Amino acid sequence: MTIATRIRTPLIHVFFILFAIASLFPFLLVFMVSVSDESSIINNGYTIFPSKISFAAYEFLFNDFAQIARAYGVTILVTFFGTIGSVLITALFAYPLSRRDLPLRRTFSFILFFTMLFSGGMVPWYITYVTMFGLKNTLLSMIIPSLLLSAFNVLLMRSFFANTIPESIVESGTIDGAGEFTIFLKLVVPLSAPIMATIALFNLLAYWNDWYNCMLFIDKANLMNIQYLMTKTLNNVQFLLMKADTSSQVGDLVAKMPTETVRMALAIVGVSPLLLAYPFFQKFYISGITSGAVKG
Amino acid sequence: MVHVKKRIMKGLTLLMAASLVLSACGQNDNGGSKDASKETPSASGSSSANPSETKLEPYKITLAYPGTAPRDLALVQEEMSKYLTEKINATVELQPIDWGSWTDKTNLMKISGEAFDLIFTAGWYGYAQDVSKGQFLELTDLMAEYGKDIPGVLGEDYIKGAQISGKLYGAPTHKEFAQGFGFLLNKDLVEKYKFNTEGVKTLEEMEEMFKTIKENEPDVVPVVSNRFANTWGAANYDLSGKLPRDSKELKLVDDLEDPKYIEFMKRMRQWNLNGWFDKDVITSDDSDQAMNMIKARKAFAIGQSLKPGKDAEMSVTTGVPLVQVETATPYTTTGEANGAMLAISRTSKDPERAMMFLNLLYTDAKLLNMLVWGIEGKHYVKVSDNVIDYPEGVTAENQGYPNPGGWMFGDQFKTYLWANEDPNKWEQFKKFNDSSERSIALGFVFDETPVKAEVAATNNVKDEFYKVLNAGAVDVEETLAKYKAKRDAAGMQKIIQEMQRQLDEWAKTK
Repeated sequence: MTIATRIRTPLIHVFFILFAIASLFPFLLVFMVSVSDESSIINNGYTIFPSKISFAAYEFLFNDFAQIARAYGVTILVTFFGTIGSVLITALFAYPLSRRDLPLRRTFSFILFFTMLFSGGMVPWYITYVTMFGLKNTLLSMIIPSLLLSAFNVLLMRSFFANTIPESIVESGTIDGAGEFTIFLKLVVPLSAPIMATIALFNLLAYWNDWYNCMLFIDKANLMNIQYLMTKTLNNVQFLLMKADTSSQVGDLVAKMPTETVRMALAIVGVSPLLLAYPFFQKFYISGITSGAVKG
Repeated sequence: MVHVKKRIMKGLTLLMAASLVLSACGQNDNGGSKDASKETPSASGSSSANPSETKLEPYKITLAYPGTAPRDLALVQEEMSKYLTEKINATVELQPIDWGSWTDKTNLMKISGEAFDLIFTAGWYGYAQDVSKGQFLELTDLMAEYGKDIPGVLGEDYIKGAQISGKLYGAPTHKEFAQGFGFLLNKDLVEKYKFNTEGVKTLEEMEEMFKTIKENEPDVVPVVSNRFANTWGAANYDLSGKLPRDSKELKLVDDLEDPKYIEFMKRMRQWNLNGWFDKDVITSDDSDQAMNMIKARKAFAIGQSLKPGKDAEMSVTTGVPLVQVETATPYTTTGEANGAMLAISRTSKDPERAMMFLNLLYTDAKLLNMLVWGIEGKHYVKVSDNVIDYPEGVTAENQGYPNPGGWMFGDQFKTYLWANEDPNKWEQFKKFNDSSERSIALGFVFDETPVKAEVAATNNVKDEFYKVLNAGAVDVEETLAKYKAKRDAAGMQKIIQEMQRQLDEWAKTK
């Protein structure tokens, strides 16, 4: 314990404590606003210590609880199947690419890479899913388009397989008479827990936070996910404020929009489950990274 | 392809089923295979005005409009469909699309050729652009055949105002046909200081009021937000500042050189220096802050576009008694005339039927009120012939079918009034419409395609300057000089020339 570390450690601690506070503060503020009385916001603006606590915003939300519950159901369902499907497909694509003896390996890599540089554009993309595959107003429309397979994730996984799974492991499997699938499932996948967890986390977040697909492909209220429910409220408010000058009717609509507290309450309701899920994931994630495979 | 699609559909149906278990909602109209095409032979052989009614095939009409899908949408849809089946053997699918997603979503719908029939549109909502892209059908012939009653309800001016180069692409809603201009004032303060709010007030008279408030009410801001400058601009110019209201000929000007405009900006500067605005005046209108100050009774006045009964309406929404005062007589520009329309999409599979439905929205009060207020007995109860109220136990917060907006569909004057509204509201509206001054450019729509880049560039310049000018936060002469130089560099003069050219063309065809 030198003098330098004795000074440095508390400094580092202080820095991270401050950093944590700075990260948590916005959440706290949003939460406090969501439980404030509307009149207190109107009079004093946002504050951590509202002059009056009121759960009216949550009552208002739970008035329409059926819709929120359904939206949660949709989000959880889509996230669950989407994440599993996505990790599976990514791994099944990345593993062959990581093997040097794959025929046409360069071609496949190029096809994958090409999609990162060029895309067909918004309209063809939309037409493909809506008119060719008829995905409009289906759960699949929130799972497949632009979320199911990300080229970047495939490349990440491929490099992991190529760099961390030693050739000798695959060879040992072959010597013991295992087929390609057995090698992949019994040897490679267990050894790749860290990358699997990482990609799963990426996908989980992407699916949980996605509202864009929902906006484009879903018209029916019973298929909307929780993120879109929140986003649309905020988007509507913004849009109407922007247009309020051009049409007197729109100006009237603005006045009828959900209040500040309701918007904040929506944000809290939308984000809480993920906040709770995060620590669990993190543990898994750190323990995964440290698990080794080949004994030196 | 077809059986691949079938297989996909099967998989999807499974998924749908899963989602329905979750959703506890039994309205599965997937694929529209078993729709309510129950042939209801008109029992009494009712002699309807429709000659071709005898052999109409069942058809589903889709109506897309901006709004949030309410809880009981499916019920209302069903009720409307029942009624429509009797009338024109059609069912209806209501497709509310959220305001914020509207542009993205409808653009893709139009480009990808999705089939839908009726769609809401407006001058401020991309009407001219959609028409120039050919998204909407021309309605004149259809209307003559299947929408005979619409011109009668609307009258000539409405139709003229909604036309683009002499052709009609949308049926305008029969609603207020003009815009009033002025302020909403806090009623308690008006009574306390005995202000007179009758008739049209000059700005000097308004300033007297603000002065009184400033001197006697230290906690109250006399004017909140920079909105009034926009209101004033709309009251004094047509074509976004290029055609002065008192102009006798169709000659465009650059508003930044117009003495009247400069004088007004100096007045705003003076208001600011007098300390009559709120401290966040530049930005308070970009959020709810301005309205919140009115709600908190911390502000006396807010600039507002007006119509009869606007003060009563806003008193309900804000919870603060308000009273309106006019600073200019009502004015009708093209923007008002095409402020809300229903158009028929080029992808409609049966435009004739869509037009019949449209015709009913102008003539059939029962159908129209279903669309606007929901189902009688469930969402509203009748108090008298055309006055309604909430049923027992229903409030504004828990209602299952909040009104999508009567100003979007058909003949608003046929919609019911609420018990707390002025029973003479529609008479007031008619009077208001008749009292308004028509712009000499009424019916002219500017097609900005040739100068699209310049329009975007000048709008960016405008965003940079107009808020601070409207709020009187900067020196007028200096800022206007900068503003004008920048705006001209962005191509303002070119826009004015192009508009002038189109305006002259249009004047010839009138």
